[in-house]
Amino acid sequence: MERSFFARNPSVLIFMGLLGLFTLGVTVLSEAYGTSAISTSLVKTLGMTLCLCLVALAMDLVWGYCGILSLGHFAFFGLGGYMIGMWIMYARTEAVVVGSLANAPLPPTPAELTDAIAVQIFGVVGGDSFPWMWAFSHSLTLQLMLVVLVPGLLALVFGWLAFRSRVTGVYLSILTQAMTLALALYLFQNDTGLRGNNGLSGLQNIPGAEDIPQSVTSIWLLWASALALGLGYIGSAWVMSGKFGNVVRGIRDDEPRVRFLGYSVEGYKLFVFTLSAVIAGIAGALYYPQAGIINPDELAPIASIYLAVWVAIGGRGRLYGAVIGAATVSLLSTWFTGGRAPDVNLGFYTIQWVDWWTVLLGLGFVLVTLFAPKGLGGLVDYIVRKDRA
Amino acid sequence: MNTLLELSGVSVTFDGFRAINNLSFQIAEPELRAIIGPNGAGKTTFMDIVTGKTRPDEGTVIWGERSISLLKLSEAQIAREGIGRKFQRPTVFEDQTVADNLMVALKKDRGPFRVLVWRAEPADQTRIEELAAEIGLADHLGTKAGILSHGQKQWLEIGMLLAQEPRLLLVDEPAAGMSGPERDHTTELLKEAAKTRAVVVVEHDMDFVRKLDCKVTVLHEGSVLAEGRLDHVTANQQVIDVYLGR
Repeated sequence: MERSFFARNPSVLIFMGLLGLFTLGVTVLSEAYGTSAISTSLVKTLGMTLCLCLVALAMDLVWGYCGILSLGHFAFFGLGGYMIGMWIMYARTEAVVVGSLANAPLPPTPAELTDAIAVQIFGVVGGDSFPWMWAFSHSLTLQLMLVVLVPGLLALVFGWLAFRSRVTGVYLSILTQAMTLALALYLFQNDTGLRGNNGLSGLQNIPGAEDIPQSVTSIWLLWASALALGLGYIGSAWVMSGKFGNVVRGIRDDEPRVRFLGYSVEGYKLFVFTLSAVIAGIAGALYYPQAGIINPDELAPIASIYLAVWVAIGGRGRLYGAVIGAATVSLLSTWFTGGRAPDVNLGFYTIQWVDWWTVLLGLGFVLVTLFAPKGLGGLVDYIVRKDRA
Repeated sequence: MNTLLELSGVSVTFDGFRAINNLSFQIAEPELRAIIGPNGAGKTTFMDIVTGKTRPDEGTVIWGERSISLLKLSEAQIAREGIGRKFQRPTVFEDQTVADNLMVALKKDRGPFRVLVWRAEPADQTRIEELAAEIGLADHLGTKAGILSHGQKQWLEIGMLLAQEPRLLLVDEPAAGMSGPERDHTTELLKEAAKTRAVVVVEHDMDFVRKLDCKVTVLHEGSVLAEGRLDHVTANQQVIDVYLGR
């Protein structure tokens, strides 16, 4: 019992080592700091994959550990992206507008400046002034706080209403689907104030770093993503390693028993759900500057379902399982749908992976569910005997 | 002997079916009590009411010296007041070790933030070992509860209840599916527990009730039919008609 956290959780150290090696490897092979063996676009893909691993980790906390099958986690991920995207768009546009007005005969007043920025950002949806939700977009600090606060508060309110009413199982999953769908439809409207289906774009151009090439900023963002994933992993492992983890897994396996032991099950679910939403928001805030664009499609219900598939294939209830699943499936998905996978010519029919990838994924999901219910992460059990009892 | 729990005039209706009908019941501390009755007599509903799972349509449930009404409390709050419940089928955390099962049950702060930073101290470790010895699972502390035998799971659940240090223990058919020696051990556990607290055992099995050697309450159609020593109630003609005579 007196052993340190890392001694009790050897997988955390192994994971950190692998993550460090991966980051170092990509850096050494990158265009910016190394041999240029890896293209900048691949660096971005890998950085985005790290963010997807982080949101899968968040998903594993609620589903794998607490037994809440949330099918709306990309709502939190997308909200995190929107929050950081607002600042990037504002700050970028401000720089452009200030630059273009520099030669004007009269220096612009602050009001003129704001109007000019608003026209630049919202002209595409016929707007010319800032909606209320952009009130803090000029401040990086405030928008960073919103990255955590907005998904966290949404999860807190949604979770409080759902868990208090004892909504569980498939009904809760449907509710979370409805939540992300409603949010996506809301964001699709031009009147909402987040540029409707255009979404926020140009996010790869980090304000203040205009003179630094993308090859360099992409590595910086990859480092940031790796750091966030590492911290998220240690944090999640710590939360689940103590008695809190025992209680949460107890809720997953036998909710009435936990309740009749005197634990407020709703409070614990709310805690885990909100924590998970906050992690998802942070992952989204790191993902979209690498993707370059966010639009309401990202919050579509199917995205959250894919997230559940990743975690199921990777193996839920173990943190590295979620990471393995997200990394494997999302990288395979990029490969198959990126047009680089060779077509298979059957003579009478040509399998084009762009169309057939989802079929392959579905098949893989069924096979994993049938033959390896513990997922890819479960293979580790064959190497390491976990129950040393 | 002070009255610990008192139900009076309690009624519950499910879709027109009166599961509990003007039930009144008292138990003191310490006391061992057996509740018997045919299927549908309202035994499990009685436990559901006391533990807060079911809210009665009318009547009062009063608890402890300060005469708290349990009807206003949630299941978790009632459990924290000192009422432990053992389910009919063994419910333990199968994915966790015996030690972890007992650790989760130990009487400690139940709030999420306090639990998050809680770490076992040597005294807690000792207490877990004591409890494991008491329920006969001292050699299985590191065993996953899922691979224990049926009887061992039942004991583990009783151990978890004892770890909670409840003032009232509600036990639903503890001897179901147990072999002879296992039953004897269970009888001892319950008798020992009842020396310092109130224990209510709901049971079908007459032999087991006889071994408990305690006051018996017979439920029928949601109300108390008879109460007293087992010999006394089994001699009651009404009891024979509705239950034993069948």
